[in-house]
Amino acid sequence: MELESNADRKFALPVDSEHKATEFRVYSASAPHMRSFHLSWVSFFSCFVSTFAAPPLLPIIRDNLDLTATDIGNAGIAAVSGAVFARIAMGTACDLFGPRLASSALILLTAPAVFLTAISNSAISFLLVRFFTGFSLATFVSTQFWMSSMFSANVVGTANGIAGGWGNLGGGAAQLIMPLVFSLIHKIGATEFTAWRIAFFIPALFQALSAYAVFFLGQDMPDGNYAQLHKSGEKHKDNMSDVLYHAVTNYRGWILALTYGYCFGVELTVDNIIAQYFFDSFHVNLHTAGIIAASFGLANLFSRPGGGILSDIVAKRFGMRGRLWALWIVQTIGGLLCVLLGKVESLSGSIVVMLVFSVFCQAACGLTFGVVPFVSRRYVFHLVFVLLLKVYFT
Amino acid sequence: MATRLFLVATLLLSCLAATSHGEILFSSIKSSLLVSASHRQGVLKAGEDDITLTWSYKSSNLAGTDSTYKTVKLKLCYAPISQKDRAWRRTEDHLKKDKTCQFDIVTKPYKSANNNFTWTIERDVPTGTYFVRAYALNSAGEESGYGQNTNAEKTDDLFEVQAISGRHATLDICSVVFSVFSVVSLFGFFYMEKRKAKASQHN
Repeated sequence: MELESNADRKFALPVDSEHKATEFRVYSASAPHMRSFHLSWVSFFSCFVSTFAAPPLLPIIRDNLDLTATDIGNAGIAAVSGAVFARIAMGTACDLFGPRLASSALILLTAPAVFLTAISNSAISFLLVRFFTGFSLATFVSTQFWMSSMFSANVVGTANGIAGGWGNLGGGAAQLIMPLVFSLIHKIGATEFTAWRIAFFIPALFQALSAYAVFFLGQDMPDGNYAQLHKSGEKHKDNMSDVLYHAVTNYRGWILALTYGYCFGVELTVDNIIAQYFFDSFHVNLHTAGIIAASFGLANLFSRPGGGILSDIVAKRFGMRGRLWALWIVQTIGGLLCVLLGKVESLSGSIVVMLVFSVFCQAACGLTFGVVPFVSRRYVFHLVFVLLLKVYFT
Repeated sequence: MATRLFLVATLLLSCLAATSHGEILFSSIKSSLLVSASHRQGVLKAGEDDITLTWSYKSSNLAGTDSTYKTVKLKLCYAPISQKDRAWRRTEDHLKKDKTCQFDIVTKPYKSANNNFTWTIERDVPTGTYFVRAYALNSAGEESGYGQNTNAEKTDDLFEVQAISGRHATLDICSVVFSVFSVVSLFGFFYMEKRKAKASQHN
């Protein structure tokens, strides 16, 4: 059996000794590095859209399914808590099968939950579909894993931050897309209680199609896919229980889990409640509440990537210490703004504070993942524990 | 950044506009109308069943107080049991903020007697327990009097409505078919992947 020589493979971007790209060019879609980036953030974005497709339509859904405030709260918690265990499993899956297969598998397995949301008819079925849809948020792990496989240390913060941020954008985009799709379908002639159901096919189809794109166009590592690399002997297969043991016993993972719980956990909570909050407290209509809610999530376009980029910039001058200080400062400011948001009484004041708060909260998330890849080389399970606790803060 | 400022400015202006209306409290308007609703027995179906409403001026009131009434607006309102654990249906004294009556039935010019209207319950009415309230509006469109088909505690003469499900057979079938297809195509992928891996092993 002959080993294929990789030494003379040509890449569109400059690469290091592991063939990881040392530059990040966002406008490029060249295979394998930038193509992987675009595939991963788009598929992650679609999962976020699906998970947060329900909140902007809740004023209609709560009447159709006769939900109480308690039912709605429980469904919201279910939507983000399923992801905890899914992310643990995802870490293992990425190690064993590679991010391409792992993420496309998860996305296709959770797409039925989104399709079936269209036929839910009770508080329990609504909670179940939101719970299983939420599992798709585990694609975050595959996104970060994939970026860390494709990009070298000097740009990994940027790559992770942008991929994560643009994926999280889905939470904001959903608040804009879903009311729009709903009113279009309603105008065409469907009654309200049917229109929201049909509207759910949009995120479901988008999610399924992104999984196909990842499978057919994606590649696990710069040199190829896991299956071929394993068989040809180029990639060493990790022992799962070893990796798990080393992850759990590394104190850094636990600390990052704690801090991440207080930025990303908060972001998810706000995604879940913000549309209803503005709809009910300030008596704006569904559209307006959706726009305001969307602007929280849409800040992810630049704020989380900004965190990642900031992490790489301070690392150039101050190394890891710079990354950690930046994370602490940004997250603390975010915390203070969160307290302020609770105290503001006027609509316009709330919106302004919410927007500034969103920038700091999401930048802190981006900064966290500027640190995570350095905790360990086999870092996948660190992601897991970093994310494990976040849900308990929601 | 500019769009955000614009959004904030628009919202600020609309807030100012809203506060320039008079704030009418429910506790300040008189119960001056008699309202009754008749319907078939049992739970009413949205989109199918109707209720027949009659309303008239309460003769026990001092004569002359209905001279300001120009129009009557009838609304479908949630009974307390349907408001429980649902803050978006809360009763507030400020009529502009009150969310008890969210469905308009009909608006008619005011007549002191011989009023009736048959209303087919609309398809967007959710499942719940309801009563009917009529507001008498003056020429400025402000509420000056009201009447409801139930008592002040909202416990008598309530009726239940069962909403449409919103589901259709086509929708159900499409959901299931697409779901099954997603899972089946996944197994197709695994199979393809295995075959490719075997092929590269045989190289």
